[in-house]
Amino acid sequence: MAIRIGDQPYEGRVKAGVDNTFMREAVSSAQGRFRSGKQKSSEELGNWEDWRTLGEEIRSHTLENIDYYLHQLSDKVEERGGHVYFAETAEEANTYIQGIVKKKNAKKVVKSKSMVTEEIGLNEALEEAGTEIVETDLGEWILQMDEDPPSHIVTPALHKNKEQIRDSFRDKKGYEKTDKPEELAAFARQELRKDFLSADVGITGCNFAVAESGAVTLVTNEGNARLVTSLPDTQVSVMGMERLVPTWEDLEVLVGLLTRSAVGQNLTSYVTSIIGSKLEEEVDGPEEYHLVIVDNGRSKILGTEFQSALHCIRCAACINVCPVYRHVGGHAYGSVYPGPIGAVLTPLLDGYEDHKELPYASSLCAACTEACPVKIPLHEHLIRHRQIIVEEEKKSPQTEKIMMKGFAKWASSPAAYKLSEKMARTSLKPWTKEETIEKGPGPLKGWTDVRDFPAPAEQSFRKWFKDRKKGEDS
Amino acid sequence: MTIKNRDSFLNNLAANLGRPRRTESVERPAYSVSPQKEAWKDATSEELLEVFKEQSIKMSAEVEETTEENLPSLIRDLIVREGNSVIAAGGERNDLYGLTEMYEELESRIGEVHIYDSALGKENQVIAERADVGVTFSDVTLAESGTVTLFNDKDNGRSISLLPKTYIAIVPESTIVPRMTQSMQVLREKEKSETEKTPSCVSFITGPSNSADIEMIKIVGVHGPVKAIYVIVRDS
Amino acid sequence: MKVSLFITCLSDLITPKVGQHTVELLEKAGCDVDFPESQTCCGQPAFNSGYLQEAKQAMKQTIRAFQHADYVVGPSGSCVGMLKEYPKAFEEERAWYVEAKKLAAKSYEVTDFLVNVLNVTDTGSTFKGTVTYHPSCHMTRVLGVKEAPRKLLENVKGAEVIDLPEAEDCCGFGGTFAVKNSVISGEMVKEKSRHVSETKAEYLVGGDMGCLLNIEGRMRREGKNVKVVHITEILNAQEG
Repeated sequence: MAIRIGDQPYEGRVKAGVDNTFMREAVSSAQGRFRSGKQKSSEELGNWEDWRTLGEEIRSHTLENIDYYLHQLSDKVEERGGHVYFAETAEEANTYIQGIVKKKNAKKVVKSKSMVTEEIGLNEALEEAGTEIVETDLGEWILQMDEDPPSHIVTPALHKNKEQIRDSFRDKKGYEKTDKPEELAAFARQELRKDFLSADVGITGCNFAVAESGAVTLVTNEGNARLVTSLPDTQVSVMGMERLVPTWEDLEVLVGLLTRSAVGQNLTSYVTSIIGSKLEEEVDGPEEYHLVIVDNGRSKILGTEFQSALHCIRCAACINVCPVYRHVGGHAYGSVYPGPIGAVLTPLLDGYEDHKELPYASSLCAACTEACPVKIPLHEHLIRHRQIIVEEEKKSPQTEKIMMKGFAKWASSPAAYKLSEKMARTSLKPWTKEETIEKGPGPLKGWTDVRDFPAPAEQSFRKWFKDRKKGEDS
Repeated sequence: MTIKNRDSFLNNLAANLGRPRRTESVERPAYSVSPQKEAWKDATSEELLEVFKEQSIKMSAEVEETTEENLPSLIRDLIVREGNSVIAAGGERNDLYGLTEMYEELESRIGEVHIYDSALGKENQVIAERADVGVTFSDVTLAESGTVTLFNDKDNGRSISLLPKTYIAIVPESTIVPRMTQSMQVLREKEKSETEKTPSCVSFITGPSNSADIEMIKIVGVHGPVKAIYVIVRDS
Repeated sequence: MKVSLFITCLSDLITPKVGQHTVELLEKAGCDVDFPESQTCCGQPAFNSGYLQEAKQAMKQTIRAFQHADYVVGPSGSCVGMLKEYPKAFEEERAWYVEAKKLAAKSYEVTDFLVNVLNVTDTGSTFKGTVTYHPSCHMTRVLGVKEAPRKLLENVKGAEVIDLPEAEDCCGFGGTFAVKNSVISGEMVKEKSRHVSETKAEYLVGGDMGCLLNIEGRMRREGKNVKVVHITEILNAQEG
C-alpha cells in the first residue's frame, strides 16, 4: 500500500463515506471526544497560544536548517553503534530494509504503528521478500487482518465497529469470545506476545528524532513500540526526513503539543527514546540498529510556499475538527494521509493528477488552521493548491473556467454588474415558485439538490438607497 | 557502522532551500516565548507531590505512599498481593533502600524472585515474561503528567517495566520535578558530559498500557503492564 | 463620522433588507452613510476557487470603489475577511499592494465596527422571541470577530438567546464548495439544521448571508419553520 489507497474515483469514495452510517457515527463521536480532551488538556496547561508559537518557531527553525540537523543526527546515531541510510525514494528505503531482513534471514518482523511505512508501502515490499510482517498496534493489527487501509492517522481503525472486529478475529484467528473491547484486546495481547518473543526484526516509525543525541522518540499508549524496540536483535526505525528536532529541550515542547493535540493527554502512557544499538553489557534492545531517513517527495516542498506543511507533527488535530472528514471518513481522501493535512500533503507528495479534488474537499472553514498545534495555515495552503490546479496545472473544469471569466468581467465592470440587478431575477423566473427556487439550473443545481435558493430581490439594495436619497433630497 | 547516501541527500535539501549546505555553526534562535519555563514555576515540592498523585490516579495508576523505613515491607506486600513471581532492577539503590534483604527473604515465600542480571543474557527476558511483577526505581518523576522516567541500562533492563502484568515504580520524593522540561535538562547535561553516556533507552511511563483503538473505548492493559503501581517514598 | 457601506453582492441582489438595516443602524449610531455605486463583488468566489487572476479584477474594482472612504463597513464577516486578504494577493504588485493595505486597514464588519470603533454595545432594539446565534467561520476564525455580535445580541430587549450546540462547526456553505461538493456540503448543512432544531429557538441569527441562505434553504427543504434573520435586523428591530 503506497500513499494512494483504493481505486475508486473521488465521487465514489465520497458517496461510500456518506453512506456508511456506522463509520460516520463513530467518527462523529470520536471527534467529540478528541476535541473535548484536547481542549481540557490544553486549558490545563495554560498559555496554549504561547505553546503553539513556540512549537511553530521550533519547527520552522528545524526545517530551515534541516540539512545541518540531519547531518548531526546521523553522526550521533553512528556514534552510538547505529547504521544510517538516507533514502530519496520509497523504493530505495524498501530495498534497503528488504536487504536487512534478508541478511538476517528473518522469518518474522514485528512493527509498531508508522505512517511513513504506510506511505512507502513497506509491508508489501517485505512480504514480497517472503517475510511475515506483524503489525502490533491494536488498530493496525485489526486492519492488517482485514487488508484494510487506515482511515485516521492516530486511531487507524476508527471506521470499524467491535462486531466487525470480533468476526475478523473469529474467522482469521479462531477467537471464541464476545465483542467486548476488553476481551478483544486481551486476545490481541496474548496473540501478539508470541509474535514479539519470536520476531527477528523490529520496525518502528519515528515521532521525533533528536539531532543532538540521535534519539528516536516513539509515542504510544499500548506499549507495543517498547516491545518492538526491546526484544528483537535487529531494529529498524523509519523516519520521514522532517521528523526531527534540534535538542532534547525542543523534543519536550513538541511531545507535549503532540500528546495533548492527538489524544488530550498530558503525556501518553509511553514516550520512549531509543539511541542507537544497546550498550555493552545491556541485554534488552537491539544489537543491530538502523535508521532509515526517507525523502519520498518531501524535499520538493522545501523552499516553496508549502514548506510549513513539513512542520506537521501528525497529531490529527486538524482531522479531529474537520467537518468534511466527519461526514466522509478517512478513506474518501484516497490517501494514507486524510483530512486537511492529507489534502495539503498528498498532492505535494504524489502529484496533482490523482489528487486534484482533495484541495476542494474543504469549505475553508479554517477550523484546521485554528486547531493546528504548530500553526500550519492549512486552509490557506488549500487555496494556494486550488490556484495551482487552475493556473499552472490547468486541471479545472472547462465550464468553471468560462464561468470565472464571466465573473471577472461582471465584477470588474460596474455597468455589467448593474445589468444583473434586473437580469438575475428575470432569468431565474422560470425556476422560481413563490419566491423560491427548488430545482435550479446550471451551477445552481448542486445547491438546490440539497436546499432551496431564494429568488433574487425585486428591488436591489442600491436601488432602495438611491430612491431613499432622492426622497431626502427633494 | 555506516552512513549511506548522506551527501547527495543533504546537498539536495540545501539546493532546494536555495543556499549552500550547512554543516556547522547553526545556533538555535532565542525563541520568542518560553511557556515551559513558566509552568509550575512557583510550585512547592509539597504541591508537586500532590499534582503527581492526582495525575497518576487520573492515568489509572495506583498510588501508594510510604517512608524509607517501611518501603521494603510495602514492596513485599504488594508483590505478594499481585502474584507469585517478581523481577526487579539491579543496582545500588536496592541496597540503599534495604530492598536486597527483603528480596532474599521473599525468595522462600513465593515462586520466583529474580534480580535482573545482565550476565544471564536473554534469560532475563524469559524470566520477565513469566514474572507477575516487575519493580524498578524512577530516575526522574514528572508531576504534571504523572510520569516516571527510567534511564534503562544493564541493571534496569527495558523488559522489567514492560513484560510483567504488574509494574511497580518506586518513586523517591526527591526525584519529583514539575514536568518533562526538567527531565530534558538532565538528559542535556548527560549529552554534554565527558564522562557520562546518555542511556540507550529513556522510558517515560505514565500509568499502565492502554488503547482506545476499538470504538474509542479505553481499555487498560494492552501490550505492556495491565497494572501500574507507583510507590512514593517520602524524604526522611 | 463618515462611513461607506460595503453591501456585498449577495445582500445587494438577494437580500437588500440587510443593507437597509445596516444603514439605519449606522445612522442611529451617528454615522453619515454613503454608498459608493461602483462597488460590485469582493472577488471571493473566484479567489477561493483558485482563480486568482479573475479574482484580482474584482478586487481591483473594489479597491477603486472605496479609495476615498474613511471607513468601509459591511454586513458580512466573510466578505470583510476577504478585504483583509487583499494585501497578500497583491504582494508582487507594489502600487496595488499599497492600496490594498489601506483598504484592509479601514474595513470593518458591522458588529465589530459598532462595538469596537463606535463603542456601541446596546443598539436600543427590542425583539421578542427566542434566538440562537450561528457564529460563521470566516467571521470568527479568519476575521477574529467573536465577542461583538454576542455582546450586541445580549442587550437586545425581549430576545432570549439560546446557545447553539456545536455552534462553531461550519454550516457547509463555503461559497462554491456548496455547489462543487454539494454532497458533503449537504451533509454539513443537515447537521447544522439539526443543531438549530435542538435549540427550539424561533429565530436563527447570524452575521453572514451566505451561511444563512444555506441554512435557511435547507431548513425550508425540511419543512421547518425556524425564521432566519441577519443580525442587523434584530439589532435594528423596534417594538410592535
